[in-house]
Amino acid sequence: MTSLSLIVALILLLTIALGLIRVLRGPTPTDRMLAAQLFGTTAVAILLLLGFATHSPVMTDVALVFALLTAVAAVTFVRRAEVDPMAPEQDVDDVPD
Amino acid sequence: MTGAQTLFDGLLVLLLVILAWVLLASKDLFRAIVLFISFGLLLALAWLRLKAPDIALAEAIIGAGITGALLLVGLGRLGSAVRCRPLPVRTTPLQRLSAPLLVGLLLPSIAAVVLVELFTLPIVASGQIKLVAAHLEHAGVDHPVTAVLLNFRGYDTFLEMGVLLLAVLSIWSLDRARHPFARDQIPAALLTLQRLLLPLLILVAGYILQRGAQGPGGAFQAGALLAAGIILAALCGHRLPPGHQGLLLRLALSCGFTTFLLAAAVTLARSGVPLLYPEHLAGSLILLIEIAATFSIAFLLAAAMAGGHPVPEAKPTAIDERKSA
Repeated sequence: MTSLSLIVALILLLTIALGLIRVLRGPTPTDRMLAAQLFGTTAVAILLLLGFATHSPVMTDVALVFALLTAVAAVTFVRRAEVDPMAPEQDVDDVPD
Repeated sequence: MTGAQTLFDGLLVLLLVILAWVLLASKDLFRAIVLFISFGLLLALAWLRLKAPDIALAEAIIGAGITGALLLVGLGRLGSAVRCRPLPVRTTPLQRLSAPLLVGLLLPSIAAVVLVELFTLPIVASGQIKLVAAHLEHAGVDHPVTAVLLNFRGYDTFLEMGVLLLAVLSIWSLDRARHPFARDQIPAALLTLQRLLLPLLILVAGYILQRGAQGPGGAFQAGALLAAGIILAALCGHRLPPGHQGLLLRLALSCGFTTFLLAAAVTLARSGVPLLYPEHLAGSLILLIEIAATFSIAFLLAAAMAGGHPVPEAKPTAIDERKSA
């Protein structure tokens, strides 16, 4: 049973390796960001599987933290994309020179 | 079973090296940030495989959560990757030679010297584990890492709090805080996410903080989780009310450092040795310092994201008044 979860963890790590192609090739920022988000989900699964295989409950804590935090980076990306980065910085600099 | 483990570790190392290389070589800054987030994720896995769950937890929170958000906000302030690309400047032959010299000659020779030195060092496989284990019962906590960080080598952590405080002071001296996120038109999905995630982040921060006494966890990880909560609130358009930007904010930023300093002063006056806790009080003192440090770290990290000293919104600054006069 433990060896099965290790093999599944290995396969999940392989899917991360494949997902890296999307991060590297893009073409849009959204493609890259979403691939990284999927890595977060995959990492949670890998952590739970490894925790089960190696009998270390700490992995569950790390998985919990991952599950909570990967959303924050995604939200930052979405909110940043709303404020157009190519636009002149009128929202940033309200002091007229 | 060992075969799958070896394959897993091998693939992990390979991915880490490839990721490190392409993210450093990436000209597109946004791509580099996404690669850095992925790198942090895999690095946390690597720390776990190395049986260092404390570092894995910190790396998971800092690497995957905070740094990603911090870098994205930083990139937003830089503008697009195209605009901030440096203009080609005329360089002297010596300047052109300096980069290859540095990377091709100097760094490898330093690495070689370090490697040679490394081989001459005696192999201490167990490190200080025995020493820590022998004194653990006097530490006031059951987890050896927390015992080392908050008790045996408490002054290291004390000075680290000082470093964080100094970092924020430098950020404050450079610029004023800006609010890169619009306050109105918050998407409904984001509001729902905030409503669900914010209480969870605070709850888990508390859990991680109290967990530090028995296992991996503690002030830094808990503080970073709280900081993620503050960042999430900022993303949803919340701001620090003007009344809280003065003394209260400064107290929150410095309370970790000052609590440590007070503990050092009191123990110095009592026993002549700073940060030598009396045994029966050690556990409570460590918890007190950790709670203060958690708050400080949360606000320090969030202040780093704000990127400058606070500016009250309603009142015009002195410069504005001079300009309009």
